[in-house]
Amino acid sequence: MTPPFYIALRFLSHRKRALLLSLSGVVFGVAFFICLQAQTRGFAEYFINSTLGSNGALVVGSRFEPRQTASIVPPKTSRTNVAHRQYFEGITNVNEIMRISRQFSNVVTCSPILRGTLSARSGFENATVDLYGIEPALHLQTTDLAHQVVDGNLDDFRNKPNSVVVGTRLAALLNVQVGDTVQLLSPGGQYRRFDVAALARSGVGPIDLTRIYCHARLAQILLRKPYAASMIIYKLHDVDRAPALAQHFETLFQHNATSWQEREESTLQLFRTLQISAAITVSLVILLAGFGIFNVLTMTVLSKIKEIAILRSMGYRRIDISAIFLWQGALVATLGSLIGCAMGAVLTWGVSKIPIHLRGLLSTDYFVVAWDWRHYLWATLLAMISVFIASYVPARRAAGLPPVVTLRGSSI
Amino acid sequence: MTPDISLSCRDIERYLGEDESRVHALRGVSLDIAPGTVHAVVGPSGCGKSTLLYILGLLDSPDAGRVSIESESVSHLSDDELAHKRNRLIGFIFQFHFLMEDFTAQENVMIPMRKLGQLADAQMRDRAAELLGAVGLGDKLRRQSRHLSGGEQQRVAIARALANDPKVILADEPTGNLDTKNSERAFELLQNLVHDRGKALLLATHNKAIAEACDWIHEMKDGRIIASQPRDPRNAVSQVLITQ
Repeated sequence: MTPPFYIALRFLSHRKRALLLSLSGVVFGVAFFICLQAQTRGFAEYFINSTLGSNGALVVGSRFEPRQTASIVPPKTSRTNVAHRQYFEGITNVNEIMRISRQFSNVVTCSPILRGTLSARSGFENATVDLYGIEPALHLQTTDLAHQVVDGNLDDFRNKPNSVVVGTRLAALLNVQVGDTVQLLSPGGQYRRFDVAALARSGVGPIDLTRIYCHARLAQILLRKPYAASMIIYKLHDVDRAPALAQHFETLFQHNATSWQEREESTLQLFRTLQISAAITVSLVILLAGFGIFNVLTMTVLSKIKEIAILRSMGYRRIDISAIFLWQGALVATLGSLIGCAMGAVLTWGVSKIPIHLRGLLSTDYFVVAWDWRHYLWATLLAMISVFIASYVPARRAAGLPPVVTLRGSSI
Repeated sequence: MTPDISLSCRDIERYLGEDESRVHALRGVSLDIAPGTVHAVVGPSGCGKSTLLYILGLLDSPDAGRVSIESESVSHLSDDELAHKRNRLIGFIFQFHFLMEDFTAQENVMIPMRKLGQLADAQMRDRAAELLGAVGLGDKLRRQSRHLSGGEQQRVAIARALANDPKVILADEPTGNLDTKNSERAFELLQNLVHDRGKALLLATHNKAIAEACDWIHEMKDGRIIASQPRDPRNAVSQVLITQ
């Protein structure tokens, strides 16, 4: 134990009220930071997991062909590649694309979907629905549909071609339950009856409000499409590499490919903004804690002027005096961060048990939190930096105090 | 300058304050202090006694002149090097004791030793106990310094000044805050330590009785040493006294 550390420890332990004041600022700052980040990140991750589980990490859609090059040179800012594309609805060589794409190491599995918009009717209730015609086996491998079923049985859906899986909020809107019948209106104006085999809740409001899954073959008949799939969705090992793979697939297949990051850009930005806003707010709490420590240490320096002078007379260097006050800050920051991290974890756990009935962009019955060690690291780092800055000024001041002025008193 | 001089200064000039309040605190002061001797600096308040002590104790720098400890000039040393010299070679005793109030008597004595870093913790404790025993506080090692009487605090300060076995002890009014009995006891203690252990002691005092009991008395006035005389003329052989 170095002499400055020893003295710092003693100074701190003999000023319990000041220590408690300094500690509480850091503890609450760190705990709030962790808890708030866990919430904002929790909802963001919940949304990402839900959307990945329902819509895949990557979607290959319509085929495109480059348009004839314009004779006028476009402005530099224009997205020339996109502007010169002509899109063709549907994927005609779906098996070939799936076969090739499965050879990419990042691809776990993929599933073709025939998608279309229809009207649904049940009793007196009507709704516009987003119909997903799927190959059940492949789709269940690619998405989390199996885990999203909250009522009914997916085996019934698999075994009965004339059945559907309905989003929970859509089911509520149409007032249907498992075992009921729902009618889907084909573009030709004919209603076709389907049995509701299961209800699924993805957690993403717009999906649960509009989506109906049926067998791909029936979807093709119902939608009167000449092709078997309008898109292919992918499950990836590394979802962060989806944009690069999408770009690669576009070039390779000449089909429009969209990563989940591009697809959900606006929502992700909203979450990011919320997270930054929360981080700034709580960082201010930590900065305020730093200000509290600044005050406490400044008062300590003032009350210890004589002791600083006597330490200097005993051979303690300026740097030793600084170290005494910096150590005090470091001890408060370390202890405060440790307690703050523990309190943050407890608060986060407590928040995750708060019941909320959320049925908007996200559907959840409890607060969603993310357990991420990086929140604890950031909170601790922020506390350390804040406390170091707060301790540095009083420490410098203490080191700069001329001992003779204090010792001399009134005598010359 | 002879090698058996513990502390010496030559032609020390020191100004204090700024502009109109600037004071010429020391005017060409020179002094030599040999080991095993007790020197008293006397004079009216404001004559420069404390300023001289702080310069000799390397806490303050002179505007002109030179300070040497054990025949080695310290004028060119950095602040950190001076701090090391203070820690190793000089012991301070102040009028107001200036103990570290959050520490026990024993811990106060250990503080200079911790800085020097030559002893293990247990050895430091033993030495502090021994020094406190020597000043009659062997039974109050673990008492918080703030719970000691004035006389006891001054004795702790004396023990602390001796912690690193310094060559030089500088005392600024060491008995100024004590009653007669405690003053005599503290001075006797210091005198014995100096004579028994071969230390050099320079003390600034207003106490005439204590000054007269010292080996040398230096009288200061207006920043100058105007007279220096040995208590016992036989001591003059070992002293080199330079007055302006």
